[in-house]
Amino acid sequence: MVFTNDDVGVKRLLLWIAAVSSIAAAFLLLMPDGMTRETPADGRVHLRYWTIIGMKEIIPYFATSFSTVQDRIVVDTTPIPWQEHEKKILTSIVSGNPPDVVNQITPVPKWAARRALVPLDDYIRRDRLDTTMFFPSLWEEMRYRNKIYGIPVYSGSYALFYNRALFRQAGLDPDRPPQSWEEIFALNRRLVRRNERGQILTMGFIPNYGNVQTFMLMAWQRGAQFLAPDGMHVQVADSTVVGALQWIERFYSEYRQQDVAAFLGGMGFADQHGFIAGKVAMMILDSSFPDQIRLYKPSLDYGVAMVPTFPGLPSASVSGSWWLGIPRGAKHPDEAWEFIKHAVSKESQLLEIERTEESLFPANRYAAEDPRFMNTPAREIFVRMMDFSHSPSVVPLAHDVFWREITGAQERVIHGLQTPAVALQQAQKQIQAILDEAQDYDNFVQMHADNP
Amino acid sequence: MLGFVFASPWIIGFLVFGLYPMVMSFYFSMCRYDVLRIPQFIGLGNYDTLLLRDPYFWTAVGNTLYYTFVRTPLCIAGSLFLAILINRATTGARIYRTVFFLPSIITGVVVSVLWLWLLNPQYGLINSTLQLIGIEGPLWLQSPEWSKPSLVLMSLWSIGGGRMIVFLAALQSVPPHLYEVVELDGGGAWQKFRHVTLPMISPVLFLWVVLEVIFSLQVFTEAYVMTKGGPLNSTLFYNLYLYYKAFDDFDMGYASALAWLLLLFSVLVTFVQFRLGKRWVYYEADPRG
Amino acid sequence: MNRRRGRWSSVVLYAVLTVFGLLFLIPFVWILSTSLKGNEQIFTIPPEWIPSRFRWENYAEVFRRMPVLLYLKNSVIVTVLQMIGIVGSSSLVAYAFAILRWPGRNMLFGVLLATMMLPMQVTMIPVFVLFKQFGWLDTFKPLVVPAFLGGGAFNIFLLRQFFLGIPREIADAARIDGCSEFRIYWNIMIPLAKPALATVAIMTFMFSWNDFLGPLIYLSEKEKSTLALGLSMFVGQQTNEWALLMASSLLMLIPMIAIFFFFQKYIIQGFTMTGIKG
Repeated sequence: MVFTNDDVGVKRLLLWIAAVSSIAAAFLLLMPDGMTRETPADGRVHLRYWTIIGMKEIIPYFATSFSTVQDRIVVDTTPIPWQEHEKKILTSIVSGNPPDVVNQITPVPKWAARRALVPLDDYIRRDRLDTTMFFPSLWEEMRYRNKIYGIPVYSGSYALFYNRALFRQAGLDPDRPPQSWEEIFALNRRLVRRNERGQILTMGFIPNYGNVQTFMLMAWQRGAQFLAPDGMHVQVADSTVVGALQWIERFYSEYRQQDVAAFLGGMGFADQHGFIAGKVAMMILDSSFPDQIRLYKPSLDYGVAMVPTFPGLPSASVSGSWWLGIPRGAKHPDEAWEFIKHAVSKESQLLEIERTEESLFPANRYAAEDPRFMNTPAREIFVRMMDFSHSPSVVPLAHDVFWREITGAQERVIHGLQTPAVALQQAQKQIQAILDEAQDYDNFVQMHADNP
Repeated sequence: MLGFVFASPWIIGFLVFGLYPMVMSFYFSMCRYDVLRIPQFIGLGNYDTLLLRDPYFWTAVGNTLYYTFVRTPLCIAGSLFLAILINRATTGARIYRTVFFLPSIITGVVVSVLWLWLLNPQYGLINSTLQLIGIEGPLWLQSPEWSKPSLVLMSLWSIGGGRMIVFLAALQSVPPHLYEVVELDGGGAWQKFRHVTLPMISPVLFLWVVLEVIFSLQVFTEAYVMTKGGPLNSTLFYNLYLYYKAFDDFDMGYASALAWLLLLFSVLVTFVQFRLGKRWVYYEADPRG
Repeated sequence: MNRRRGRWSSVVLYAVLTVFGLLFLIPFVWILSTSLKGNEQIFTIPPEWIPSRFRWENYAEVFRRMPVLLYLKNSVIVTVLQMIGIVGSSSLVAYAFAILRWPGRNMLFGVLLATMMLPMQVTMIPVFVLFKQFGWLDTFKPLVVPAFLGGGAFNIFLLRQFFLGIPREIADAARIDGCSEFRIYWNIMIPLAKPALATVAIMTFMFSWNDFLGPLIYLSEKEKSTLALGLSMFVGQQTNEWALLMASSLLMLIPMIAIFFFFQKYIIQGFTMTGIKG
């Protein structure tokens, strides 16, 4: 083999690098460039609409039906996967080229507080939008510091599901669902079944199974205000909340945490869900659940009733709205507003619900109360429950911290590590610390940024 | 100087894509910053809160160290063991290699669904099998004591095959004549492993000890998808906590401070490893040159 | 060695290998079986390993729901470019760090390792801003260009360790013969490092093929989506479309298995082929 000297080697090397980089450059030039993308020259406005895939149909009906009522605006729908969708929306706003409309479920104040959304008050005033058509709790979710930043489209509503067959087996009246937590406690004793080794086979009610945190509902029922009216002071360790958590503590003093955890360990998805499998007799579930039951166990004999409460106190539920908003920096906010108005009209909502396989619950109460929607006894209950609903956005500036801490406090009580009062005091301290920081930062931004 | 030319792709890449983000994240670590609004400089405020007033910081540190120190040796020993086994197989080696490799190419949600199903305390394959031999299996992910071991088990199973490939490549590079020398001296399998295999693959072994520690310290996905840090914060790993801060709470400043503390710790550990490495790693080409 | 003992040890060897093999085969079988089920069959207890009815239409449904061939094309472009870029540039850089002597080498190597230790969660936004400034959003450039510039600390470190395992006399002998450094790199080191390069190629493929976050934040147009990103559309908030998720996952696995099958021969033949030259 003939070897060349070092100088020639360097030249060769440079040549080689040049060759590789020109090939790379060629590849890159061949690639279509996104920033040069033009909207089709058809004289119409192309609205970029992002929808998070939590729903099966990728393009919602209201996006297609919009073209039947006008022909100035075309909606280009892009589905965003559920996983990491917050990152996607965050980066799109940072890039200065966000979509014109976004369909989201994470709380409005979380985004509004960071000025990620355009306030809609001027549009609402200009078009005299009837805001009473939305369920009040959903409308409250859209508010941050007295401005509205989103319009609710769909929601879920919660109610008590109970298994009539299990009631009958236990010698209970299947037409008399429990109305108070005391009754739930008593019924539980009659519904629980164990095997000879003491393992739980069926249970009446488990306060921490399901999407809803029972003790939060109880706290709302007892009149808990998690945040003082000044918006600055967290009141998580208030006696109303402590009392609610004490109910959980009492439950777990009667049923060992390990036994319940082992029992819950056997639960799964679909037909392995505790309620569908007939293992848990009473559960607080959302308005899409009747469809799940129809899919996995149509023969299940169940009833739907109002969420139980304490004697003399109103029921309570929690709602989480899917909403439409206009991100800051959107190119066509006016057209986006037209589209939003179309999406939340009574007729659009009813048509969408009739056409979709998804179980949607309309945010528009006129749609919800229409016989085309309210056509089962269960749906009647769900619509009634909406009047007792609370927004999950309790401490807007420390939203996720609030829920993490609340969940943590409950967990410590369930495991018998702390008393409710101590657990909630610890949570309160954490949330308050984060809220103080957030408030301080907020003041700084108010002072230093030109505030529109 | 030729070194600069050879290293130039990385140096250019680092200057263009790497330096700015690192500098920015360091700056943000001294700010309150939520990405969407302007940063507020607060000096060492974030570090102060982290080290002195944040109980979750120390929980996360503890969990992460546990995970790192349990997983790293098991992962390296396990995958090396597999590699040695498969290196001795003659027939069907190709099939075995591919089968071992399979779990490491399955990622994301699919893995977590699979493991939620395998680890189901009542019906899961693992506890059902244990029951056959009369053992009452634990609650796995639902139990604060077993949640971390569950995640270690899952990680070993899903990356063992991928690591095995690397060790296999190293084993294949050991010159066969070295084994013959040991055989002539009357050495058995253990002597061969101890005096030939181990020193010859020590650079690769060292590489993986260093990398495995760095990766374990950044463990995130499994806990994020499967346990969300629970139960009782037993799987609240450092990077999971960082993620919650950065993307749930939009507190990028705090998250950056967390990140830089992790970087500092990783640098320290790696430095010590390189120092210790000088004692046990055998390089054919002396890196000091 | 005693022949009988040899036979017994090989029986034990294959028994152990088979046990591990079965253990490692479970996920694959599970994915295959789930991909052929209806939603109501997936979580039955005890599990149905062989579905009572094979629903091949799940695969047709995947093709109906997403433009598989278009996404496949995009995935292939991104993955192949990344492989070329990473294998090429990281081996060059690793050679500099392992074999060459130059001022600041150790310090820069430290910096290189440090880039691996900073969680990407906090650098993601600044990196994104950078690519936005370059006008690279909605193109493959953010995914591909960095591959040509070093290819990442992990790969460089991996190859450096392999280069360090190659006897120094080989390079020295070539140098005495007047061979240039580039020649030594290209004609001697690269062939010797084939197993390591194959390892890097396989790992790059795996990472790039499965990468979800990169395409998610850099690509907004549906037409530019990759398979990994497309697959994520079957994952919902609480309810996933299990069967379709598994069917599409399986489709994604096939190229990876093929790539592995192809590259593993380089890993195995490593020394026996090239060692003689040393």
